[in-house]
Amino acid sequence: MNAPHAAGRECSATRVRRLLAGELVEAERSAAEAHLLGCPRCQRVRHEWEEDRRALEAGLPFERFAAGVAERLARPDLAPRRPVQRWAAIALAAAIAVGVAVPLVARLSRAPMDEVRLKGGGASLTLYLQDGGGARALGPGEAVPAAARLRVAVEPAGRRFAAVLLVDEDGVATLYAGPAQPGPLPGAFEWTGRRGELVAVVDDAPVDAGALADRLRRADGIEAPRGRRAVATLELWRSGP
Amino acid sequence: MARFTVIPGGRAEAESPRPSRPEQEGGLLAELYARHAPAVFGRCRWLLRDEEAARDATQEVFVRALRALPEFRAASSPTTWLLRIATHHCLNEMRSARARWREEVVRLAGLRQDDGLEPDRRELLRVLLRLAGREEQEMAVMYFVDELTQAEIAAATGRSLPTVRKRLRGFLATARAALAEALPGIALPEEEEL
Repeated sequence: MNAPHAAGRECSATRVRRLLAGELVEAERSAAEAHLLGCPRCQRVRHEWEEDRRALEAGLPFERFAAGVAERLARPDLAPRRPVQRWAAIALAAAIAVGVAVPLVARLSRAPMDEVRLKGGGASLTLYLQDGGGARALGPGEAVPAAARLRVAVEPAGRRFAAVLLVDEDGVATLYAGPAQPGPLPGAFEWTGRRGELVAVVDDAPVDAGALADRLRRADGIEAPRGRRAVATLELWRSGP
Repeated sequence: MARFTVIPGGRAEAESPRPSRPEQEGGLLAELYARHAPAVFGRCRWLLRDEEAARDATQEVFVRALRALPEFRAASSPTTWLLRIATHHCLNEMRSARARWREEVVRLAGLRQDDGLEPDRRELLRVLLRLAGREEQEMAVMYFVDELTQAEIAAATGRSLPTVRKRLRGFLATARAALAEALPGIALPEEEEL
């Protein structure tokens, strides 16, 4: 079983697929196109992609594909979920069917949230409340107001990548995973839980939010920070009934 | 009301690198289908060896992408992200077929003897995947099929380069042991330097 790169450092099936998906830009695209022209090995990858596309379109044309996706989105999860979440998933499925947007509902499952503790390393989290008059940071110990529009900002302390997850009595949801950036992260959200925690992991390498969420769901906690990885958490709570 | 809801069109959305806009969302699935479904379907077809199961799995992968849209949009390569989800999903589906790996290895070896054909490298890999641990499986697919470099695998999985190397070596050791067991007397090449 030969290592793939023994055939040529220029070859990469993933690069060919990214080219065909329109993901490459400018110099990278030009280089990939030039390589493809003269490389039978990469041409075979393109040929396979085209065969897969033909087989897909024949056996699962877009209309059937979209209907199947919508049906699955509307299907309740095996894990216990609140009825409202189920209805929200149905709403998303309906949106696909009619081609309009609806709020995206994070998929959640029940999980304890033990052993998630601060290992900051200079990183920090701030929760902003948006209202008609502007935005302000949530104060220390302050409860999250009902129906508040929230945004999260991460101070990555020089790290290049970040992931932010929300852990509460209903499970774990990924709020963001990608390059660390100054200021509030994309997307506002509303939280209707009772008690929860925001968890941010920053690192010089991309953070695998899926693996992190799995660990939190299993209540394994976060692995001890290694290298320049750092973890920051922020408690959330809501007052009143 | 859902506990956690992304609010498109929030006042600060203009700062977002990829703001969510209603008029774009309707075409999102069509765009995903055109750009990425062939590769996802190809991955599912290769791993599951069943057209209908592959079609089901392809839809399931995109359901997962839609349910994790912020994470998907933040991925540096949507292709790599989706193929990883597809691989995970199909490997789960394949678990029940673990016991049949010996028969398949012998069948592939038989092809070689009867027809003088070399077993397809990816086909052999697919059979041997069932014997490896989860992380070894994923990294073997990324390395041998997707042809990512070890550094790219480390970046995609969040693992260190030595860990990636260790998993790949572990997979190769498992594969060599399995081939030696299924095909006694087979001459195996020396372990490669990874």
